[in-house]
Amino acid sequence: MSFIRFEGVNKTFGNGNHVLKGIDLELEKGNLVTLLGPSGCGKSTLLRCLAGLETVTQGRVYLDGADITDLPPQRRDIGMVFQQYSLFPNMTVGQNVAFGLRMEKAPKAEIEGRVRRILELVHLEEKIDQYPAQLSGGQQQRVALARAIVTEPKVLLLDEPLSAIDAMLRRELQVEIRRLQQRLNITTIFVTHDQDEAMVMSDVIYLMNGGLIVQHGSPIDMYTRPESKFAATFMGHYNIIPAEAFSRACGEGVDCADLAVRPEVFQMLAGPLGREGSYSLRGRVVARMPHGNIVRYTVDCDAMEIDVDVVLDGAGLFELRQEVFLSVDKGALIHL
Amino acid sequence: MKNHKAGGNIVLVLIMVYLLVPLLLTFTFSVFGNWTSMLPKNFTLRAYEDMLATPRFFPDLLRTIIISVVPVAITVLIMLLALYTVLIFFPRLEKFLQLLCMIPYAIQGVILSVSIVSLYTRVPGFLSNRIFLLVGAYCIVILPYIFQGIRNAMRSVNMPMLIEAAEMLGASKLEAFFKVIVPNIVPGISVSALLSISMLFGDWVVIRNIAGNAYENVSILLYMTMNIVSVRTATAMFTVVFLVTLLISILVFNLQSKTEGGTSREER
Repeated sequence: MSFIRFEGVNKTFGNGNHVLKGIDLELEKGNLVTLLGPSGCGKSTLLRCLAGLETVTQGRVYLDGADITDLPPQRRDIGMVFQQYSLFPNMTVGQNVAFGLRMEKAPKAEIEGRVRRILELVHLEEKIDQYPAQLSGGQQQRVALARAIVTEPKVLLLDEPLSAIDAMLRRELQVEIRRLQQRLNITTIFVTHDQDEAMVMSDVIYLMNGGLIVQHGSPIDMYTRPESKFAATFMGHYNIIPAEAFSRACGEGVDCADLAVRPEVFQMLAGPLGREGSYSLRGRVVARMPHGNIVRYTVDCDAMEIDVDVVLDGAGLFELRQEVFLSVDKGALIHL
Repeated sequence: MKNHKAGGNIVLVLIMVYLLVPLLLTFTFSVFGNWTSMLPKNFTLRAYEDMLATPRFFPDLLRTIIISVVPVAITVLIMLLALYTVLIFFPRLEKFLQLLCMIPYAIQGVILSVSIVSLYTRVPGFLSNRIFLLVGAYCIVILPYIFQGIRNAMRSVNMPMLIEAAEMLGASKLEAFFKVIVPNIVPGISVSALLSISMLFGDWVVIRNIAGNAYENVSILLYMTMNIVSVRTATAMFTVVFLVTLLISILVFNLQSKTEGGTSREER
């Protein structure tokens, strides 16, 4: 039996904006699940419906077998970390973390012990008497995380918690959150619009668009087997190529409407290479952009632009306007 | 940059001089017997002895404190509850609440007091009690200041987000409001409360029209002392009244800085 279940959940706001369109979703206990999608796709609204911060227009929400659709947030036993930290500015780190325990009316000695232990877990035990304004963004987000999990909720919700943090610290916190989630074995739902973040952190990714879940699966499945044009463009930097144009460029017929091809599956050479079981195209380099250890080339093949990733291995770079030959395995093409 | 700073300091000093000179002159006038030439002569505390000999002074001062503080406390509480209800449950009604609270700006004290007296005192009963009427009238007079102070303070703390965070930690909306939001807006509340208290402290028109002889405050006593007893005794009274209001302000700001906690600290 699933731990969290959304059953035909619809949400329409007062202005008539239909944000969630019949969401059916079942999540397993102990997983870190990511709701991924572009801005306005309904991922945060779905999270807020589970938290009880938004009412569901239609449908039911179940947690651990119980119908929680009409329960107020404080009775759902769910912890949440917000994008803007939401720490209480007039309280110290210790008081912020203790807030939930004080609401539960836990004994004072127990509160002190649990606050200290959870702050040790997020490496902030020395900041217990400081105020949020005295902490960096990363430290504030760790306090918010400690505050959300100190009460040992059934579910932890993370609503784009790292989007206001700089790239380097974000990577550190991604690892820290994942490690903490696995150590505490807490069912976690993570909302993000960053596909790299979703890939790094998740057990399962649910991809949303226009108020619907369009695809779900493990990060690798989501990346290698997109089921739609949207999934292909959102999950990876896929080339979406009309099959007709591709057939014309390589001289072989392809039986579908569009093709999705990842930039890294192309082989790019200065001379022609006819391989069994592969398509060959000829083109000219029109753009070149280094991305760390890879270089992304844009190649114009018969008025069709294809992005190709080449590992920067010291073999020399292709020049702009240089004629090149692309080769791709037939099995690497995804028919859409 | 340096010139700008020096210019700013000069302006500050000039403003301080402008504000402090009348106070210093009043105090000087109260402690000298004769001030007809350039410098005052005959240092004396006679005006203060006369003031202490006036049996009504301290009771009037206490009455003034009570009649200034009670309406402010009532209005702050009502406004907090009203803003909580409107902002959390009926945010669209905020503009109407604002309009309602701004109306007293346009009504002068004389018109307000005369209207209240003519409306409520015709029928004897609870509402025609002059002291209750006075408290009610004061609540109306200070409504715009209290509303604006609290609303601005609330805008600065991102109230919906903090309430949601507190709700997720087990607090009800009301608990979240009083345990999280109110402590964070104490500076805004205290500034508007102090402004209102000092306004009511110096009121003469509304209290005279509504309470008549039933409730005498220091403004009325000062006026009578100035006209009947002596101007010098009145200045001694004024000095003491000023010191009392200063003391109230210091107490409120001390309380505020204790409640404020980390909201003003920045050290990363």
